[in-house]
Amino acid sequence: MTELARVVEDRRGGILVAALDGEVDASNAADVGDRLRLALGNASTALVLDLSPTRYLDSAGISLVFRLAEELDARQQRLVIVVPAGAPIARTLQITGLGGAVAIHPDVEAAVAAAG
Amino acid sequence: MTRGSDGHTSAGMPDMAVRPASPADGQVLGALQRITDAALAYLPHDRLLDELIARVCEILEADTAALLLLDESRPLLRARAARGIEEEVERGVVVPLGEGFAGRVAAERRTIAIEDLADAELVNPLLREQGIRSLLGVPLLVEGRVLGVLHVGSLTPRRFTAAERDLLQLVADRAALAIEHASLAEQQRLAEALQRHLLPQDLHAVPGLEVATRYMPASRDRLGGDWYDAFEVAPGEIVVAVGDVVGHGLAAAAVMAQLRTALRAYAVEGHPEAEVVARVNRLMCELGPDATTTLVYTVIETQRQRLRVVNAGHPPPLVVDPEGEAAFLPLQGGIPLGTSPLASYRAAVHPFPTGSTVVLYTDGLVESRAEPLDRGLERLRATAPGAGGIETMCTRLVRRLVGEDRADDVALIAARVPPLANPLSTRWPTDRDVLADVRQVLRRWLRERSVGDDEAYDVVVACGEACANAIEHAYRPGQHSFEVHAVEQDGRIRIEVRDRGRWREARGVNRGRGLPMMRALMDAVVVEDAEDGTRVVLERDVSRPARAGSG
Repeated sequence: MTELARVVEDRRGGILVAALDGEVDASNAADVGDRLRLALGNASTALVLDLSPTRYLDSAGISLVFRLAEELDARQQRLVIVVPAGAPIARTLQITGLGGAVAIHPDVEAAVAAAG
Repeated sequence: MTRGSDGHTSAGMPDMAVRPASPADGQVLGALQRITDAALAYLPHDRLLDELIARVCEILEADTAALLLLDESRPLLRARAARGIEEEVERGVVVPLGEGFAGRVAAERRTIAIEDLADAELVNPLLREQGIRSLLGVPLLVEGRVLGVLHVGSLTPRRFTAAERDLLQLVADRAALAIEHASLAEQQRLAEALQRHLLPQDLHAVPGLEVATRYMPASRDRLGGDWYDAFEVAPGEIVVAVGDVVGHGLAAAAVMAQLRTALRAYAVEGHPEAEVVARVNRLMCELGPDATTTLVYTVIETQRQRLRVVNAGHPPPLVVDPEGEAAFLPLQGGIPLGTSPLASYRAAVHPFPTGSTVVLYTDGLVESRAEPLDRGLERLRATAPGAGGIETMCTRLVRRLVGEDRADDVALIAARVPPLANPLSTRWPTDRDVLADVRQVLRRWLRERSVGDDEAYDVVVACGEACANAIEHAYRPGQHSFEVHAVEQDGRIRIEVRDRGRWREARGVNRGRGLPMMRALMDAVVVEDAEDGTRVVLERDVSRPARAGSG
């Protein structure tokens, strides 16, 4: 069947820019997390998680971001999230207070600058 | 039935038995009986050929005999049965059509006798190595088509009589019929098996779409090149396609199989539809000239209520709108697949409001020997709208459009996105994979109620949280499903998610974010946890967008 979400990777030096294209829910959040961890490895200094192409993110997906923030923090890697202004998922992220735990930027360039 | 050069007629068994092959002496009659022996019909194909070869050697007192069959796709003869020169078969001897002895018999479709091979040109050195001096060869013909060649040889110089020539031709006719029957039976078996596997059987599994299909090969014993498919390519986006491979038989079916696989693979990779078709085209070009195919590829966007269409030389899709008005989509200029690797394809976008039906078909539905194409298309346009669902529509189309005299295969697929009811009641298996499907249906339902995108997103997330919880806690026996009910009244949306488990906010996985999210996104959230299950009621006022003219 169709893949609900794709991880599109782009490397900027030591920074992994991973765009989450599609929808993330309880059915694929664990799988998406595994793909991100695999892509990140130990060599990367930071992960820029680009949620601009993310069309749906439920509490399972948001919990994944919280968990990644903890994991990366423990390994002294940085996590920066990209959420465009006015995106539907921005409201749900706000509700869950993700902004208090992770730096959120409106576009990839700003996020990469912040992560570097 | 008419044979070419030698003026004989070839027909079924009864005809052969009465044919005046030679002066009616007892020897010839006995020989005839041995060749036309009805019991032979019960032998498997290969053994029948061996047995015929053996008998013809005895009857004609020949030292060697060989039967070569024409390749299905290339101008080559391959040795299939032999006596005295068994190496012909073992070594897989191949003779180009038109060359050497057997090649000439096949190409010229006539009996050829060589009294002395000493100075004849032979492509097959085996014949000379075996010390053959004289040869008599006849073509295997069925309805004017050459199937192969049968020849007998003698190790001593010999002049074959007219009666012997006739007898050998009789054996060849017998063999040709047997081969033809076996090949038809095999083709029919393959046709049924292939079409069973190539044409999707379980189209009803495509969520949110009604699909009806019909497939009628022009003849039962011939593989057709018509093909259809429907599958979900992305959430809420459903591909419906029809193709028509030029030609028939196994080659066309093989192309069809490759087309189907390639199309699905490129589509699921996420390419835009014009690119999917362009890629399939390049692949078809590489497969060679037999791979020419017309195709119409449509993507139904269930939420945006649009239809994206790419056409490669195929008749235009018909759309019946929710009011029952039928119109063909404008023809686009794409050329058939497999014609040129440089061909470019463009997608056209058409409105496809919920309740519309798209009808895709192959030309067998609209073409008949008796009428011009325009008339067939007009009949299709006039016949498609009517009472009943799409199954009834397909039945009506086939009954009124497909004549007894049809010369071509007919493939027909109709797809309709049914409007969702208000109130809406749905039941789902407790499987995480259905979450995306629930969202699809709910999004479409909200859009049909004219709820704006942002509000719809909030409602979908809140409902998704309730559904995820129902699925996560489906641990009781017999708890295989949960229900989602939605109703809109006077601008207020009310959604109820019912399961048979106990409400438990996830701890390890979602860290208790589900319920606060629901409360933040909705105006009211009620969780009723009872002994027989949990009921989550979500309510929210939605501001409907202003209608045109009302400011």
